[in-house]
Amino acid sequence: MAEPVLDIRNLSVNYLTPRGTVKALRRINLQVPSAKVVGLVGESGCGKSTLISAVIRLMAENARVAAGEIRFTGKDMQQLSSRDLRAIRGRDMSMVFQDPMTALNPVFTVGRQMKDIQYRDAVSGKEKLKRASDMLSLVGIPDAVSRLDNYPHHFSGGMRQRITIAMALLVQPKLLIADEPTTALDATLEVQIIRLLKDLQADFQCAILFISHHLNVIAELCDFVGVMYAGELVEKGSVRDIFHRPGHPYTRALLECDPSVIAEPTRFLPTIPGEIPSLIDLPEGCIFHDRCPGAAQVCKNTPPPEVSLAEHHTAACHCLEV
Amino acid sequence: MEPLLEVAHLRVRFKTKSAVKALIEKDKDPYIDGVMGVSFAIEPGRTYGLVGESGSGKTTVARAIMGLVPVHSGTIRFNGENLVGLSRDRIKPFRRDIALMFQDPAGSLSPRLKIRSILAEPFRIHGMMPENLSVEVARLLKMVNLSPSMGDLYPHQLSGGQARRVGVARALALSPKLIIADEPTAGLDVSVQGEILNLMAQLQNDMGLSFLIITHNLAVVRHVSDHVAIMYLGRFLEQGPTQTVFHHMRHPYTQALLSAHASPDPDAVHHRISISGEIPGLVSRPQGCEFHTRCPGVREKCRRQFPPREDAGKDHRYYCHYPLSVPEN
Repeated sequence: MAEPVLDIRNLSVNYLTPRGTVKALRRINLQVPSAKVVGLVGESGCGKSTLISAVIRLMAENARVAAGEIRFTGKDMQQLSSRDLRAIRGRDMSMVFQDPMTALNPVFTVGRQMKDIQYRDAVSGKEKLKRASDMLSLVGIPDAVSRLDNYPHHFSGGMRQRITIAMALLVQPKLLIADEPTTALDATLEVQIIRLLKDLQADFQCAILFISHHLNVIAELCDFVGVMYAGELVEKGSVRDIFHRPGHPYTRALLECDPSVIAEPTRFLPTIPGEIPSLIDLPEGCIFHDRCPGAAQVCKNTPPPEVSLAEHHTAACHCLEV
Repeated sequence: MEPLLEVAHLRVRFKTKSAVKALIEKDKDPYIDGVMGVSFAIEPGRTYGLVGESGSGKTTVARAIMGLVPVHSGTIRFNGENLVGLSRDRIKPFRRDIALMFQDPAGSLSPRLKIRSILAEPFRIHGMMPENLSVEVARLLKMVNLSPSMGDLYPHQLSGGQARRVGVARALALSPKLIIADEPTAGLDVSVQGEILNLMAQLQNDMGLSFLIITHNLAVVRHVSDHVAIMYLGRFLEQGPTQTVFHHMRHPYTQALLSAHASPDPDAVHHRISISGEIPGLVSRPQGCEFHTRCPGVREKCRRQFPPREDAGKDHRYYCHYPLSVPEN
């Protein structure tokens, strides 16, 4: 495999708080190969957003990278000056946020905003507007040229998310980070946005790091999937490995909980009993042991090894060792 | 069985401009229709699911039942008595029997009150203060599987799932007969979502509660509700027993919504009935069948006239000129 666009190695991130050090991410290893879509799933508080903010180096003030490195197209993100970072962000790496209502500036027209983000390119303003309108028609906004003069509030939610995708792709990034881009949208719009992302990804050949907690969206869009739990990447593999042959007990439980998977109607749905452990006083051993149905004695006091289940498919669990 | 709640031809209209402005602009009909004549009934101990995209009027139906928006026409019968047109004082006793669970669990709990005070509010408002409030609060917390010591916490100290449980406990305070749950699982993780739904099912079994669940999550509705209505721009395009609607749907919108909720399988061939565009605004309500602007099977007639009501079996109705064929078996 060629060198991945994004290579996260052994990354640990802490938050310094008055109550103690929150170990928000621990020993994350994740690669995003070029022109592939990598999905990240996990429940609230698992560290998905911390991971993204570490990747784009827009971390909260009390966040510290405790160990590890993030390489983007071969460059070590930790070593770059803020000037170099600015050159990367919004050009080689761009982002689509969760809420399309707040991602656009309400007091400027869409055309103005789309023109402004091309500030680096030495072409005429007319040309920039042309690119913007071309991009808008590509993401399925009818009558693009005249709509450049509209303000964000003239567009509906689905349209605005299309616009933010258009803006993110306008710079032809090498990596697109999409943080729950469909969560705020209705189901029929979600289908449309996923289709759109899939088609555009095929055209633009950019790599996508896609964060979602909608399993069906991940299954449809992604090539590789990483499953996060309480700050650790507990399992990763190809989309088929994860959905057809999940190894880690947490992945299996998560898949079983999805009501759309349960074929027969049932009044009582499966759940994962218990709560996410405190990230200040981490439990010894496996992070999932107190909620795991198959936890053995060894799980309580020894951290699990990374077990290779297939090519590119690994899970951190004692019970998978042969 | 006699239904607990029976809504017939409910219509809710909202004024869009003042009377003077309408007169000046010679606008004879300065209204938009939020709910366009819906009928349904909930039997005691049953769950009714109301499904639709944002802006379809689901919440307006709930607010009309609670008497929070004026009803233009139609009837809302609760235990046989018509609630439409009752004065504030006369409707108040019914609000004890109908409780609301709000959409945003954290936002619907006052940040400055402790959980114990939040749970005491329904009693205070209805002048039904129990003799020993702390016993009552502990009982309510226990019912939703929270420890009584949580009464001393503030809402920001709770997790999303716990806040949702407090919402359930508050709804239960006055021992209602019907609970209207607006998006009970929105914003929850799948593992917690199951806990809340199981709690609601448990309470239904124990206390014989009826639920009206408002949601856009079809996967959830399929498991928890006995009957379901698919709502679009203020109308029930299709309604009936959940199993029938899910397996023998006749309306193309139902089919499109269902196909948008495919199960997570990377190898599944998605027979997605893609519908284009978005739900039109109420101000620009399309002529004819309201769904025609997005319908994959639209024909000339759909643009001109709204389809008549069709009965497809017991309690199963839909509005479509060219319904889907009934699958064999």
